[in-house]
Amino acid sequence: MRLFLIVEEPIDVGAIVTGAFRPDCGAVATFIGTTRVDEGAEVEGAIASVEYLEYEAYRPMADRKLEEIGAEIRERWEVGHVSLVHRLGRVDPGEPSVAIVVASPRRGPAFEASRYAIERIKEIVPIWKREVWSDGYVWVGSQVGTRSVE
Amino acid sequence: MSGVRILLFGAAADRAGTRQTEVALNGGATLAELWPVLVDLHPGLAPMRDTLAFAVNGEYARMEDAVSPGDEVAVLPPVSGG
Repeated sequence: MRLFLIVEEPIDVGAIVTGAFRPDCGAVATFIGTTRVDEGAEVEGAIASVEYLEYEAYRPMADRKLEEIGAEIRERWEVGHVSLVHRLGRVDPGEPSVAIVVASPRRGPAFEASRYAIERIKEIVPIWKREVWSDGYVWVGSQVGTRSVE
Repeated sequence: MSGVRILLFGAAADRAGTRQTEVALNGGATLAELWPVLVDLHPGLAPMRDTLAFAVNGEYARMEDAVSPGDEVAVLPPVSGG
């Protein structure tokens, strides 16, 4: 199983987590990022809301950046296993868009490294998401889109 | 090949109205020198300048870094993965 992965289909969270189990590690920390829909705002008398998120990536740079983050983690912490998986394309509300699994002999490094991984993904991996609303879309972080109210 | 292939993503692709374009280069240039040529072709990019990052051949690059014919330059809005 590849450990650093960009996928266009639903993330198999169970397989990624159990893939981290190993006899020399007593702690497996997971972080799963799921798509969140904030409460809709009223626009011209109707409640607008996010229908889904859509992700795109600059590949293969994004794949390599995931691997780089894995290498950074191995330099900083004693870990037995690191897996980072990000999904692209349409992701419906409540579905996983990113999964991070770190196994370590003890819990401290596992927790710290998984937190580090999500912060680094948000910092250096060339992936972008747009919120697709009932009345248009907006690129998160750029505030560029087709919604009249943005 | 005398051109530089430009890839645009996310909001930058929207602003430019395309996801891919090509800029002719006679010899080398820096990213800083390439930028106004790109803006001439796609003026919608101009207001994004301060928010953008760039990659040359798949690695983050600074404005003073060199670009040569045949290179691939990516225009990267603020990333928003996760």
